[in-house]
Amino acid sequence: MRLLLVEDEPDLLSGLARALRKAGYAVDTAGDGEEGLFKATSTDYDAIVLDVMLPKCDGWAVLTKLRETKSTPVLMLTARDRSADRVRGLDSGADDYLVKPFDVPELLARLRAIIRRAAQQACSVIEIGAMRIDPAARSVTLAGAAVTLTAREFVVLEYLALHRGEVVTRTDLYEHLFDENEATLSNILDVHIFNLRKKLGHEFIVTRRGHGYSIEG
Amino acid sequence: MFFPRSIRWRLQLWYGALLVAALGGFGFTAFHLEKARQFRRIDAGLQERLSALVVALRTGTRQSPAAERRERPPGPAPLTTLRLTPEQTAMFGEGTGYYFAVWMREKDPIRRSENAPAELPRPADQKSAVRMRGALRESFLFAAPVDCVLVGRSIAAEQADLRTLAAALAGVGGAVLAAGLIGGGWLVTRAIRPIDEISTTAAKVAAGVLAQRINTTETDSELGRLASVLNSTFARLDAAFAQQAHFTADAAHELRTPVAVLLTHTQNGLASECANEEHREAFEASQRAGQRMRRLIDSLLELARFEAGQEPLRRDTCDLAKIAGDNVVLVRPLADARGIQIHAELSPAPCHGDPERLAQVLTNLLSNAIEYNQTGGAIRIVTERANGTAKLTVSNSGPGIPAADLPRVFERFHRADRARTAGHSGLGLAITQAIVQAHGGSIEARSEPGVQTTFTVALPA
Repeated sequence: MRLLLVEDEPDLLSGLARALRKAGYAVDTAGDGEEGLFKATSTDYDAIVLDVMLPKCDGWAVLTKLRETKSTPVLMLTARDRSADRVRGLDSGADDYLVKPFDVPELLARLRAIIRRAAQQACSVIEIGAMRIDPAARSVTLAGAAVTLTAREFVVLEYLALHRGEVVTRTDLYEHLFDENEATLSNILDVHIFNLRKKLGHEFIVTRRGHGYSIEG
Repeated sequence: MFFPRSIRWRLQLWYGALLVAALGGFGFTAFHLEKARQFRRIDAGLQERLSALVVALRTGTRQSPAAERRERPPGPAPLTTLRLTPEQTAMFGEGTGYYFAVWMREKDPIRRSENAPAELPRPADQKSAVRMRGALRESFLFAAPVDCVLVGRSIAAEQADLRTLAAALAGVGGAVLAAGLIGGGWLVTRAIRPIDEISTTAAKVAAGVLAQRINTTETDSELGRLASVLNSTFARLDAAFAQQAHFTADAAHELRTPVAVLLTHTQNGLASECANEEHREAFEASQRAGQRMRRLIDSLLELARFEAGQEPLRRDTCDLAKIAGDNVVLVRPLADARGIQIHAELSPAPCHGDPERLAQVLTNLLSNAIEYNQTGGAIRIVTERANGTAKLTVSNSGPGIPAADLPRVFERFHRADRARTAGHSGLGLAITQAIVQAHGGSIEARSEPGVQTTFTVALPA
């Protein structure tokens, strides 16, 4: 899962980025509205965390312009907690709204919720056959037995499971699993897929030669 | 709408009084001038005939026996002859209405015209005068060669004319007065209308519609100038409120962002695997401080918005008893944890207000009652209808508030007992008071130290 975090306060930006990366997200950051809008329109993020008060171009303007081209889920962060502000945020096309200061676990839960909704999953736990994937607990069980995955492996599995029944290209996977700062090795994805197959069974992830991978729903 | 003290009616009253005085003065003068003119004319007629009679008496010119016979009245024999020329005779008689009488120091006149009234006393001794007897006007003269000569006539017709004149004057005066009062009322209404407009607008501004301005078309009139001054006052008020609103919004951002930084980093630190026990304690302390700061900021901003009138309040019909009942259920676990009994006597107390805000009032008062109670104590909560208000009473059996501190319990950051308030912002009662006052209600605290402390809220029903 790849996120864009737009926040002008450097300490908050670094702290949030750290928390989100720890939660297994690939995180791109932007320090002002213009940069945020440029990144948001040029990459398909799984979700965007957008501060309202931003230099150059405020959060409302970024959201309005973004909605002209993309329907990426957006969670707005703001210091204003009046209900009129919240209504305005949701009416402008934000998917959720969180008032600063917030608790990190709440932010993570809300992010999972908007990502899940965007993938049209109503249930927070994904079940495929005998496998249960719990994104909140970041745990996988296969026929009741816990499977230990690395953070990256979990993310690859989660992304494929959220898009099950579809063919996910290698480019898609690269784009959603690694942030802008990671120098990705071309075969790192093959390593993750290999390990996942070893832990979950070989038939689970199907290779579509020349296209990508898929999990049958 | 009749206000005995209103400028409008006072103006009308003065205006009417002045009009009555002016019209009365004119009418009175006109009537008396006419009356004097009439009497002068009557007296001139009488005087003319009196002179003619005196001349006739003095000359005593011989008249024809026929004439003498004709003039001679029945009764005592004449002591002197009175012969009147035909012109003089024409002055008296039935057609003219004039009569005369002549006395020679006797009770009855020696001569009198036939049309003279039967009752005709001799005038008292006077040189020359006129007198009124009923509707009769008589002019007389004590002159030689006789004793007294009197000429008179009835002036009933003239008096009737004067009465008609008086009635006409009164009628016209009344009509002018009525027209004047109506016209005056119209003028006053026109003059007062801008004042009504000004007060309506000012009332709206006072009620919080700060964008209202008085419509000033006549900027040069006195009221126009007043309206301009008021408008600029309203504009400054509006700007001050807008500035306050901006300030709270800015303060919200400036205060909350650092707390967000603090909480994010402490929570990251707590989630970190490499934190040891010492680090963890430090992070937890920081997190507690951060959370407390967050509650404090929330409460302060809420209070600031209430004071600036920016906090929108719903006005639903709700029952305090129901809100209280719900809140008692919510806080019961807290009370149980300290062994405190809650006695609720909730009779219906309907009021108009924002149910969420009123629930906040109850939560604050109840958690306050639990916090400042002694372990194993009791809380009594009562809702009832009283004198057109919905009344809520929350009492606790805690150690109470010293009388000196009582007036200050609703102040921000005031604490009766500084030792035992770590988790609280010290703004709960201030917010409670702000909410109650925003609803147009009142709240008061009473305490008997060592017995019980009671908070009473009255809300308009």
